[in-house]
Amino acid sequence: MKCEEFEIIGLERIGRLLTGLDATQSAAAEHASTCPRCAALQESWQEARAALQDLRQVTDAAEAPQRVEMRLRQEFAMRHRTMKARSTAIFAAWPLPTAALLFAGVSWWNWRVSQHQRALLATETTLGVKTVDSVLQRNDGAAADSTLVADNDAGDFTLLPGNLPLEIDDAAIVRVRMQRGALGALGFPVNEERVSDWIQVDLLVGPDGQPKAVRLPE
Amino acid sequence: MRIPELERDDVLLRRAAKGDEESFVLLYRRNQAALYRFALRMTGNAWAAEEVVQDVFMTLMREPKKYDPARGPVAAYLFGIARNRVMKHLERLPREVSLEEQQENGAAASAATITAFTPAHWAEQQERSERVRAAVLELPAEFREAVVLCELEELSYEEAAQLCGCPIGTIRSRLHRGRALLLAKLEMLRDVPRRVSAAK
Repeated sequence: MKCEEFEIIGLERIGRLLTGLDATQSAAAEHASTCPRCAALQESWQEARAALQDLRQVTDAAEAPQRVEMRLRQEFAMRHRTMKARSTAIFAAWPLPTAALLFAGVSWWNWRVSQHQRALLATETTLGVKTVDSVLQRNDGAAADSTLVADNDAGDFTLLPGNLPLEIDDAAIVRVRMQRGALGALGFPVNEERVSDWIQVDLLVGPDGQPKAVRLPE
Repeated sequence: MRIPELERDDVLLRRAAKGDEESFVLLYRRNQAALYRFALRMTGNAWAAEEVVQDVFMTLMREPKKYDPARGPVAAYLFGIARNRVMKHLERLPREVSLEEQQENGAAASAATITAFTPAHWAEQQERSERVRAAVLELPAEFREAVVLCELEELSYEEAAQLCGCPIGTIRSRLHRGRALLLAKLEMLRDVPRRVSAAK
């Protein structure tokens, strides 16, 4: 072994590996026994190593002061509390637009349903009117254009013969145009001279589609 | 002894990132001493070492997702951050070693060893430690790092190379140069009292 090799490898091996001798260690020890310079270097290094060991021992139990942990804990708590508050605020901010959206959706749905129901009702009423018309036409053949009366005012209806008073809520009021003579078929007295006049009549149509009462609005 | 799955550093870090303070504290307690010792031995300054440790864990707290498990254990990641902070500190400031600090640094640790030695032994050991500490702190940063890691932290060349992110050969040569410089400085320090006593 040469002095350069001893400095790089041998010194390290001699210093570090205390158990068992390998070829390098033997060669280093042999070199140190023949070279006074390397022997002195080895001695100095062992002394320095011992001093380093002392330094290591002195600082071996050193730890960061407790205040560092305290500061870190405070920072951690603050950071995560802020994050939690922010996420809560974000979470809490959601229900408002969600509620508005939900309200709009429900309103739209209700509007659609009511539209649908109204259309159905109109169809049913038309069917009812047609039934009334057909009855009237069957009876007299004089009934003509009929319209659904918007107002639900019970007014002065005269019950048709053979009918009992009924709730206005269960009935529909239908305005029809017919010849005066057709009233005779419903059991009313008719002036023979004006039998061919066209008049408007409100019919109170029951749930069974049959006219229950009649009213002369004019 | 194997560390249970739930107490592994990476698991603790994941839980800490979700806001679990106890996991963060456990992670801190497990790693702070090694980081503090390294910083203290590198800077020779207790305040700087304290700042380094705090910085390391603040970084971890701010950006826990920067840790990539594929690149190594959490301890090595923390050590990498500590090393960067120490290097920045050494670049930024001239070396600061006050006697009070030196005593403060050593006092707590040496208290345990006082009972094992006579006061004369203890005083001699203290003196020698101070000498070596001063010599180590005078080494250039990269040589000092190699000496601290391999001689004081007792890491293998492989571990030291991994932590410093350089080849093993570089660590070996830095250590060799560091030792040579350290020996030279220790000889110089030893000569001063001799010269003083010779002058008397």
